[in-house]
Amino acid sequence: MLHDAPPVLIALEQSAFASAIRGSSWAYMTANVGHILALMLFVSSLVVMDARLIGAFAAAPPATVVRPARRLAALGLLLMASTGFMLFAAEATHVATNPVFQIKLTLIALGILNALLAGRLLREALDHTPAFAPLPATARLLAVLSLLIWFATAACGRLIAYF
Amino acid sequence: MLKLQVFALIGLGLVLPTAVIAHHGWGSYDAAHPITVAGPIETLKYENPHALITVKAADKVWTVTLAPTSRMQTRGAPPEFVAVGKLVSAYGYPSTVDHAEMRAERITIEGKTVELR
Repeated sequence: MLHDAPPVLIALEQSAFASAIRGSSWAYMTANVGHILALMLFVSSLVVMDARLIGAFAAAPPATVVRPARRLAALGLLLMASTGFMLFAAEATHVATNPVFQIKLTLIALGILNALLAGRLLREALDHTPAFAPLPATARLLAVLSLLIWFATAACGRLIAYF
Repeated sequence: MLKLQVFALIGLGLVLPTAVIAHHGWGSYDAAHPITVAGPIETLKYENPHALITVKAADKVWTVTLAPTSRMQTRGAPPEFVAVGKLVSAYGYPSTVDHAEMRAERITIEGKTVELR
């Protein structure tokens, strides 16, 4: 534990919840495996969604692909956040001060903002664009941003251990 | 549209390799200069993600990072094996960040060696 970390992080790391994760022979491992499995669900749905926005799978009306894929991606993100919180709580003071983790959190915030913005800006276009018709340039721009942000987030996640 | 797709692929190409390269690294431990830390175990944290002991060596008190507890158990190093007071010899790699920390490749206690990697 880092003694000069913010009190809220020290409290989290010393909580019964965090101690239980550290003390258990399976909890940390399970959260770690769960985090990767959730990542698979998240990123597979995300790539389908963004690929359709960029112009792939043009034979399918965009709304029929983007909306269900978005719901699956949201579920994946929720599972990532809950397993990620377990991993974080176990060593909160060290992880929070890790520069790569701080970049990762920023990217996650950007990714969620980007997704919310896309949901708002593209609703009309999704409602009215048939198969094979091009989506507005905004759709492609936000989808490319989404892919860049989330892949960079994944890279940061793996890199936390090395900085 | 094609231009944007190409841009996306290039972007991903720039981001992905970093993760792949790092996967093989030891990060902030100096694997080129292994050391052996020997002395009595002063404290034990048998916890995840890694068990930790502090060892009172001749030069200073070292924090020795061991392995996840499930692996420790599997390799024959339950909490009793690394109990406080026992004499340990830990072979491993010094941290390049914290000069009183090392990550153990293997530890020997009472003549029994356990591989931790």
